Amino acid sequence: MLNEDFSTTVAEHLHTCIACRDFQRQQMKLRQIVGSLGTVNAPADFDFRLRARLAADSEAPSFRFWSFTVKGLATAAVLVVFGVGAVVVWQRTHEPQPPVVAEAPPPVQEPGRSEEPVSREGNSTAHAPEPIPVAENTAPQRRRSERSRFANAPKRTVSTVDFSSERANVVSNTRFAINTATVFPIEASLQSVKVSLDDGRGNARTISFPTVSFGSQRVLTTPNQFAPKGAW
Amino acid sequence: MTAAKQIYKMFLRTIKQTLTLIVLALSGSMAVAQTPAAPPKKTMPQVRVAQRPSAPQVVTIVHRLNGLKMFRMLLRSQEQVQAVNGLDSAFGLLDDVHTNVIAGVAMDDGETIAAWLPEANLEFAPPKFPRAFDQSKWGEFKYFITDPPDVTVIGPDGKELLAKYIGFDATTGLSILRLNEKSSLPASAVQDEAIDLGENVLLFAPEPVTSTQSLDNNLYVRIGSIEGRIQNVLPAPNGEVARFRVSAPRLSQANIGGVALNEAGETVGIVDGLQGTEATVLPTASIRRAVQRVLKQRSSVPRAWLGVRGEAVAALELNQFLNHGWAADRAANLAGQHRGILLTSIVPGSPAAQAALRAGDVILKVNDNEIQNADDFTWWLDQAGAATSVSFTVARPDQVAQEALNVKLSGILNPAPGFGFRNRFPLPKGLSLLEQGAETITLRPAVALQLGTTSGLLVVYVEPATPAAEAGLQPGDVIQSIDGKPISTLNRTATLKPPLTMQVMRAKQKLTVKLSPPAKN
Repeated sequence: MLNEDFSTTVAEHLHTCIACRDFQRQQMKLRQIVGSLGTVNAPADFDFRLRARLAADSEAPSFRFWSFTVKGLATAAVLVVFGVGAVVVWQRTHEPQPPVVAEAPPPVQEPGRSEEPVSREGNSTAHAPEPIPVAENTAPQRRRSERSRFANAPKRTVSTVDFSSERANVVSNTRFAINTATVFPIEASLQSVKVSLDDGRGNARTISFPTVSFGSQRVLTTPNQFAPKGAW
Repeated sequence: MTAAKQIYKMFLRTIKQTLTLIVLALSGSMAVAQTPAAPPKKTMPQVRVAQRPSAPQVVTIVHRLNGLKMFRMLLRSQEQVQAVNGLDSAFGLLDDVHTNVIAGVAMDDGETIAAWLPEANLEFAPPKFPRAFDQSKWGEFKYFITDPPDVTVIGPDGKELLAKYIGFDATTGLSILRLNEKSSLPASAVQDEAIDLGENVLLFAPEPVTSTQSLDNNLYVRIGSIEGRIQNVLPAPNGEVARFRVSAPRLSQANIGGVALNEAGETVGIVDGLQGTEATVLPTASIRRAVQRVLKQRSSVPRAWLGVRGEAVAALELNQFLNHGWAADRAANLAGQHRGILLTSIVPGSPAAQAALRAGDVILKVNDNEIQNADDFTWWLDQAGAATSVSFTVARPDQVAQEALNVKLSGILNPAPGFGFRNRFPLPKGLSLLEQGAETITLRPAVALQLGTTSGLLVVYVEPATPAAEAGLQPGDVIQSIDGKPISTLNRTATLKPPLTMQVMRAKQKLTVKLSPPAKN
């Protein structure tokens, strides 16, 4: 298949290159193997079957109506099923639920300030995942709002749930306030400042005061800011 | 036949696909339906927040004190400070060395803010100044702020609001600020109605989010709250509510200055003290009056000052009357009435002294209002206000008939009057120009070098309209010598009285300041 000059060049190369000679030998052996196989004839009705298949495809219009009708029905059925599913989901999501406690805020570590959310009675709820139980003396206003919320809920005739044996949950305003409070930065250092003082009589001492205070966490002991009792 | 077979196969295939779709749709719908309703933790609070907003009227006040004001705090504390030997390297005279974070409440006009700043007294004269005794100047002088407090207002959304410090109301201890923009905060409801015992309240106050410094060197803060219940209402003699007490768990000093809201979200007061496990709350009616007083004068408003010390008659033993010159029968009669204030001492030069009130006198009425106890007396004096004349009905040990005395009340900005005779606020025993209107502290050489100045007397406060102010002394000045003598060589107990010639170092420049005696009226 190569011209004479090229075959000569190739032959010379094969004579000197072992790798190419091995490759050429493998290729030649493969040709010989393929060439030794016998001829395979097509079936006698091959031509008929091929033409019949082509003819069947060309007659598709007569089947499109059926296909369209069935697919349309299937689509409608799917839509109906989805509609029913949507109604079920809507009912589930709008079902009146007992209120739940908002997520507990991150702990705040400050001397003297509560690190834990506090219930309405002022009892500490140390481990917050559980809802805070309602107190016997819950504020009437809060209870009114709870009742009105349930009264406005859609009525369900299918089933009712009896919560009378369970303790209702309340949502702590405290937690709402903390949860919704905006956290903002203040440019201040938490390190303390040390000052070495002298009382004028040779008594020196060093005091340390915080650089940040909250509320009336006074840095130093000072006389009462308000008029002392009995002085006007 | 073959075509029909093909049609049949296609029909079966289509039906099969349709059924598969239906099964998938059904299983999907069931899966959605069986999934628990939307997590309440996310949905419920959002709904509630819209119905019950937290506290839009509560703002955060950041009050910064520089080194000079911290020296004032040291001098006015009970630390007996005369000199500074050493300082942290971070300490600078004009640098912020302390920050107080406290709540403030926006009044219903949406632009006025009231806050109980605990360090507000550092912005004004020390209680030792004799200025409060100077009745002749009272009424002509307004407490204008020469060195405005460094306060920043942060709104509930965390944004800084431009505001101006208007003044301090000494009667209530409230600081009044005004926002530069009226619409910065929404107008909020302020409840002026009666306070109900047992009513639940929320105490809002800023709190740190973490106890450690953040990576960006900021301290993160938010408005937190605790729940409490009104346990006690303290009535004023005129029927108003003077204070009410709220019990809440884990109350601390950090809650002072917090804003009390009722369950409807209305402001009901500001926490101005702690008594055991209860917080005392200043009601909104008192807050309103404080705001009106300060806004009317557009400056700080002192409280009425009489210059007396005394005790309620109802709390006294009979011999205490006898010790003040009362006859036994009259003393017994007076003690049985359980009314009035027995004066035990009078401050020299005070309005009481000028009105000839004496120790042993019993004040029975103020402007015809009977005095049952000490709180009544305080209330009626506060209602009268500074620089006003009041009428006292007085019983005296040496005369049978009751006497009516008119007294013109003085005023004092710092709520703690200077009772020198009781040694409550003793004047400093070292070198001091306090009598001349300047508050000073001695800087040792090492500290002076650190602060970039020289050793001597550092001026930390100058009261307006005093000899020191008229001489031109300013906070931050360092007095190096007086009458040619270096401060270090002066006797530490020397009395400094004008006229004085002082060498002063101000901004690395030497000045001569001459302090003259006060002009006599």
